[in-house]
Parts: sequence; C-alpha cells; structure tokens
Amino acid sequence: MRTVSRKIERLINLTIALLATKRYLTKQEIFRSVDGYEGSEETKERMFERDKDDLRNLGVTIDVGSFDPVFEDEAGYRIKPEAYALDLGNISGTEIALLSLAAEAWRGAALDGAAHSALTKLRSIGVESDLDALPAIAPRLTTSFSGFQTIVNAISKRDRIAFTYVSATLETHLRTIEPYAIATRDAHWYLAGRDIDKDDVRTFRLDRIDGEISIVKNNGRFEIPQDFDVFASLMNEQRSKIATIDIRKGKAQLLRSTALSLVDKGEWDQITINYLDSPYIVDLVLWHGEDAIIIGPESLRSEIIEALETIVRVHG
Amino acid sequence: MDKPVQTPISRTARLLDLVPYLATHQGIELSALADVFGVTQSQMIADLTTLWMCGLPGYTPLELMDLSFESGFVTINNAETLSSPRTLNDEETIALLLGLDLVIESLPEDRQDLRGLALALVKRLSLRTNVRAKLAAIPAVAGSTIAVIESALSKKQYLGMTYHSLYSDTISNRVVFPLELRSEGGVEYLFGVCQSASATRMFRLDRIQALELASIPAEPVLEIQSGDTIKTSYRIRVHSRPRDAAERFALDSASVLTDPEISSFSNEWVRRSVLASSGTIELLDPPHLRREVVTAAKSILTIYQRQ
Repeated sequence: MRTVSRKIERLINLTIALLATKRYLTKQEIFRSVDGYEGSEETKERMFERDKDDLRNLGVTIDVGSFDPVFEDEAGYRIKPEAYALDLGNISGTEIALLSLAAEAWRGAALDGAAHSALTKLRSIGVESDLDALPAIAPRLTTSFSGFQTIVNAISKRDRIAFTYVSATLETHLRTIEPYAIATRDAHWYLAGRDIDKDDVRTFRLDRIDGEISIVKNNGRFEIPQDFDVFASLMNEQRSKIATIDIRKGKAQLLRSTALSLVDKGEWDQITINYLDSPYIVDLVLWHGEDAIIIGPESLRSEIIEALETIVRVHG
Repeated sequence: MDKPVQTPISRTARLLDLVPYLATHQGIELSALADVFGVTQSQMIADLTTLWMCGLPGYTPLELMDLSFESGFVTINNAETLSSPRTLNDEETIALLLGLDLVIESLPEDRQDLRGLALALVKRLSLRTNVRAKLAAIPAVAGSTIAVIESALSKKQYLGMTYHSLYSDTISNRVVFPLELRSEGGVEYLFGVCQSASATRMFRLDRIQALELASIPAEPVLEIQSGDTIKTSYRIRVHSRPRDAAERFALDSASVLTDPEISSFSNEWVRRSVLASSGTIELLDPPHLRREVVTAAKSILTIYQRQ
C-alpha cells in the first residue's frame, strides 16, 4: 500500500516539477530534484520511463526538447501549462449550466464516467453554474451498449474496428470498418463508417452488433471525409422518395405526424410523406389497417397489394 | 455511480483533479467532496493525505501543498502549480459534444439565444478534439418531458398529458399520477396510475405529445387495480425477414425459426404487428385472431381494388 502511494506521490511531484519549470529539465536534474527517484541509475531510468508512459496515458502531454546547445545530445522534459490546463476562454455561468446539462444527459448511460469527470473539471473553473438561466429541460441519452467507449475511442484515434453484425436474415458476419461517426435518432444508436470489404460507407445499428468490438491494428490512420454528414448518411436523404397516402380522418396518427403536406378530402385526408426503402413504408402503412391506403407511386401500391395477398395466402 | 477502479493511474488522475476543485471550493465539507469524486470518506482522507506529501522540489513546508481537513472541512493552499483544471480528454469532450447536441435539440423554439451559446460551445469543444462534428444526437423524447415528470415525482403531483397510443391509434388527454421512470431496451417509460382507468399503465415518453403539472391536489392513490391484466399467449411462424421479427417481438435469434410463442397484453397490438409484417409472419394461434387478420387483409384489399 505504501509503495502504491509512493508511486502516486512521485507521479504528482513529477507533474508539479515539470509544470513549474520554465526550461527543459534533464533526466539527471529530475532524479536529483524530484522526490521519489531512488536506487541504482538503472532503476531510476526504468521508473522514469514508466512514469512518463503513465502520465501520457492520463492525457498529460510531456514536451521533449532541448534549448541548451551544451546539452545538445541530452533530451530535456517539461509540461507546458497551456497544454496541461483546460482553456475554454471566458466562460459564463449560463455556458457552464449548458455544459452541465450536457454532462447530466449521460446519467446512468454509456459515457457516464467521462461525463462526470468532465463536469468536475468544469466546476473547478470556479464559475458558478447558472441553472436558473435555462428552461426546465432534462434531456437524456440512453445507451448502456457496452462497446460504446470502444467506438468513441476508435473514432478519436482513427482506429479500425471489427465486430459481428446480425444481418436481416439473422446470419452473423464479421465486419471491419473505419468508424466515422456515432449518432442517435428515434431511440436507436447508429454507427457510420467505411466498410473495408464493401469499400462503401455503411451504417450499423448498435443493438445489432453481436458480442465484443475489437480494435484492428492497421498501419496508417484513415481520414474522415471533410464533408461527411452523419444524418445524411443515416437517413439516405438524397435517395428519399415521396409517397402519397390517404388516411382516415382522426386516424393514422403516426403517419399524420410525419406528413409533408395534407389535403382535406372529406372522409379522408390525403398526405405525402418521405420514405426510404419500400418494405418499411409498406409495413408502416399496414400497421394502420383500413385507415391508411397508399395512392402512389404505383410501384408502392403494387407492393402493398402483394403483401396483403401474401398475408391472406399464408393464413389461408 | 460505479465505484471507480482503484489503479495508481486512476488515483493519480483523481488527485490531479482534486487540487483545482479544492482551489475553487475552499472549505468544502469532507463528505460532500467524497461525493463529488464518487469515493468513500476514508478513501478521500487517504487521497488528501497523499496529496499532503506533494509539492515543488525542495519539499520543505514552503514547497509542499498545504492541506487542512481535520475539522471535516477541506482547504488547500500553496497549490498554484496544479490549480488549473486539466484539459478534457477525447472521451470527455465527446460526452459533452453529444450531450450538447441533445441539449440544443431540446431547447424550446423561443430560446434562440441559448441555442446560439450552445452551438458556440460545440465549436469551441470541437476545436479541442480530433472528432469534429462527427457526432449527432437527436432526442427521441422532448427535452422538457423528463424535467416535468421529475418535478411531478418529487412534488407528488398529478400530470396532465396528451398521449398518442400506437396500439389504438388514438390521441387522448389523460391524468396520470406518476410512480416512476423506467427504461427498457433503450426506450423510456413513465409508470403511473391512469386516473380514468384507475389502473397502472406504462407510457412511452416519446409518445407523450404534451405534458404539464396538473393542478389537482395530490392525494394518496388508493385501491389501484394492477394494470397488468393477464397476458395472452400467441404463436407465430416466421417465414422471412427473421431479424425484423426478432426485434418486433423481442425474441432471441435461436427461437425465431421454431414457431415461437409470444405473449402480449393486447390482441390489438398482435393483430397490427402481424399485418405490419407484410406476410413475413404467420399467426398460428389463437385461431380467432388468425381469422381476424385474414378478414382485415381482405377488406383492405377490397379498398385497393375499388380505386
């Protein structure tokens, strides 16, 4: 236990020393001045290498350099305060409140831990959160998907990932992708990225990923296209089509709520809606039974008639 | 909150974050401080004791950080070097960016001022990370919904709501006494007593169209009938699109193809679900509902043939 806290003390003392110095400190200077470096030269070297790695893993950037020509061959170390410290510029109580609300949205969900530590840092700035400036809203992100952090880290580090994905026929396939984005819409989470084997951008629903997500080591990082728009990709907006549907007055609330236009036709209202692919629009219209009838396009009408005939046939 | 994993690294991180927090919260109660960092009080004392041994090279009282916490209130001095909060890491930035997205979408229309502030924050944070504008969150539930429910729960007050029932395809006004918020399979529900039915009901938050605190004096709700009337069993056969069937009926992939039995409170839901499966699912039992499905399909076909 004592050795563990010795290690922690040394890491803190090293951070303080490297932050406080105005010039690069050589290893020898560090060993002489920073508390906790003991033992043979070799032991101290090993300790220092491990400590540097540990601090980097904590997100502390250690700058390596030398400014003194006399010590040309010897590297010096320091932590630049501007790289260490959080700098959001001038920040108001209202802005802190907005960020707090953003962090609170993760309560109990996948990035709860990260959101909480971010919040602690924000509160340490010393600007009081002005929650009264905001309307009473409490948005929530709900995902407890276990691979969420892996995906988030892979996106920020530009690592390829691989996972087993359940196809529409319930077969499972290994997919390797360069992850571009993660997004939520309509209570589902989606991952978008370039599928290596298919050489195309695809979207995946997180709840259809079966098992663990693994990081695939590859040489060279990929680039996320500058103009990549996650929702355009998700919703295939460029390819969306328009259907005309008659819905009974006072009925088909779900279709009604997404209508682009509505014309009163007496007993019925005629609406137009956007749709992506035909099986799902047919399913959605059939959910409403006799209260929703597809008028056009003709191809969609044929499909729904065929679906109805299939229902009659399989139950015949 | 989960108990943070105790590695030397995570403890070091906590200690580094503790210093700036203390610097702006001088005199905070020890127990409150332990809560902020999600640790026990004895762990917090151990952390503070470790910090006490740290400071600038020299390590005399002049250089060491000066902590006092024996009184149960914590103060820190001589800690300028570490007193700025550490920069946010990628994961923290992403958590905030996604959260802000959601906040922006949840703000009422008439608060363009806050929208502008939040968008500017997104921009500032994006500059700090590799992940630029590659995140997007559109909430399924209106931002104010949860806030109003939470307030009703804490004040033990009734809620007035406009609710869209998908099963019955109706929009109705209801008065509900809230009991709790529940989350199942990523979907959030309000569990409460529906006044008109005098029974407990589950309401999907994303189907609540309007919501307000009702001005009915709260009285303990007596004699609640359980809304959990007996579930009926149904048997289906999946002919194609098995993943859709598995997701619609919450079946595991192993059972989808073996004429699974499903259970539901509502014939209406089953009838609609079978119709909405476009013939990929066959309802085997019960026979009367099977006949209803056929009758419905035939009468819809008649409408198509008329036009």
